Amino acid sequence: MYYFGLVIEYLKNYMKTRLTYRADFWVEVISDLLFQATNFIFILVIFMHTNSLGGWNQNEVVFVYGFFMVPFGVFSCFVNMWGFSERYIVKGEMDRILTRPAHNLFQIFLENIDPPALVGSFIGLIIMAISGSNLGLPFEWWTIPVLILFTLSAVAIYTGIYTALTSLSFYSDAPTGILPLMYNIQSYGRYPVTIYNRAIQVLLTWIIPFAFVGIYPAALFLQRDEMKSMALLTPVVGLVFLGIGLMAWNYGVRRYKGAGS
Amino acid sequence: MAAIQVQDLRKTFKVQKNREGLKGAFADLFKREYTEVTAVKDISFTIPEGEICGYIGENGAGKSTTIKMLTGILVPTSGVLSVGGYVPYEEREKFVRNIGVVFGQRSQLWWDIGVIESFQLLRKVYRVSEADYKKRLDELVERLALQELLNRPVRKLSLGQRMRCELVAALLHNPSILFLDEPTIGLDIVVKSEIRDFLKDMNREHGTTILLTTHDLQDIEALCSRVIMLDDGRIIYDGGLEELKQRWGTGREVLFQFGSATKLGQLNHWTDGMPVTWSAENDLNAKAWIPLDLNVSDVLGRVVGQADITDIKIIETNTDDIVRSIYQSGSAEKPEEARAEQDGKEVVHV
Repeated sequence: MYYFGLVIEYLKNYMKTRLTYRADFWVEVISDLLFQATNFIFILVIFMHTNSLGGWNQNEVVFVYGFFMVPFGVFSCFVNMWGFSERYIVKGEMDRILTRPAHNLFQIFLENIDPPALVGSFIGLIIMAISGSNLGLPFEWWTIPVLILFTLSAVAIYTGIYTALTSLSFYSDAPTGILPLMYNIQSYGRYPVTIYNRAIQVLLTWIIPFAFVGIYPAALFLQRDEMKSMALLTPVVGLVFLGIGLMAWNYGVRRYKGAGS
Repeated sequence: MAAIQVQDLRKTFKVQKNREGLKGAFADLFKREYTEVTAVKDISFTIPEGEICGYIGENGAGKSTTIKMLTGILVPTSGVLSVGGYVPYEEREKFVRNIGVVFGQRSQLWWDIGVIESFQLLRKVYRVSEADYKKRLDELVERLALQELLNRPVRKLSLGQRMRCELVAALLHNPSILFLDEPTIGLDIVVKSEIRDFLKDMNREHGTTILLTTHDLQDIEALCSRVIMLDDGRIIYDGGLEELKQRWGTGREVLFQFGSATKLGQLNHWTDGMPVTWSAENDLNAKAWIPLDLNVSDVLGRVVGQADITDIKIIETNTDDIVRSIYQSGSAEKPEEARAEQDGKEVVHV
């Protein structure tokens, strides 16, 4: 309850500061959408040349892409760790965070909250609805609750992975270039994993489980029974990776060295 | 009860060695060399509740590192630490509700929003009830005359205005212990003395324990009943400011200006039997060095009646000089004592 109240407060403040720079807000929304649009067009181009991608037709792949956008938007809104090392370690703002009575990682999330990213989630829902109706997918009583559960699980996976990687900044003084690399790998998760070779499948499933933020959970809605058991594993993977991320973080914070005077 | 208790506190940093040149940079890429730097070397002290304690030392002496350990930001390498009944780095979130922190070089406030909105946000973060918050805020705003600033964004405040707001931000939740790291850095004299008065009042009215680091010894003179001096990670002095002055202020100097030529021998003759040392640049100016246990007036009495004096100036050794000479020698022992006792870095408890 306390933390929920804080989210509201920080959102309010975000609005107050950002609405004064309205143009900036819309530029961000539009550039976000353009970025997504280029990916989307890429999918359409692929299907101009082929009818199926590893046994998945265009509407199915588009549906997966739509699902992928939902947790990604939520994640980008609430968990934004770009520039953590720069701002909090090098400039020493972590000092301030650590002298306040709320969990430090949570405070960092709050301070970098980015609501325009949520627009992507809405677009994702629309894409899912359109491609879903093209496919004639049934709308069951469990569709909404499971969608919420899977979205939260996928957000947990993202958060876990990025938190663990960001906590490396506590050990190394120099900012690491590993985050952009991850960003590229995660986009693999929105295509059917079966199109990749075995090694990449294992990587995307168990090591950096980006298949669980796109293809696996989406498969449940697409009634793809071969991936059903994987889909149901999504919440478990979410919890495990979030746990790993938090542990790495809490351990890293103890190594925090401070900056300057 | 002790507000702060520190026993054999130590902090070691591993610092990466950067080898020279391009070749060195490549070598660093594959095999890094580290050096261990001990910033704080097994210090111990206790600060009772309600005390204002000054924490001084040269740049790099380990002041900030100590403060950061006391506020839970850094985890000590070894030693026992208890602040307000908590071990700071273990129960950080519970612990910090009880302390206030002001880092002179860093802001607690949000840059883009009005000051009052920053306070509102902090109220939520610290879970202060609306009633307590209102009462507290009114009191602080009135005391520091901030009424006009409340709706301005922080980025439009002057440093002095910002610093006063920082103090309010750190005190909204009525902490029992307040840590100040160079709170008066870069401020003008008026704001400095305003802040000093304010801190004194807080201490008197609410019994707030205050630990502050500073390079401005006037802060210490105005506020602190006690001073801890740090050099190279060790405490070299812990005690009252007066004792420090007495220990180190070995005497006073009196400058005389004469209307007619007065020889050094003549001066020596007048103060015969007194432990006064005379020196003269020329016949019209002379300096007398008078040890602490001798009254200046006695010396003046001997000279004034006989010489043709146009001006007299008495120079007390001030704290700045004392501290400067301690920093330079790296020990708070009196020079003679330090020589007698080779291990000059012993802690002096007064």
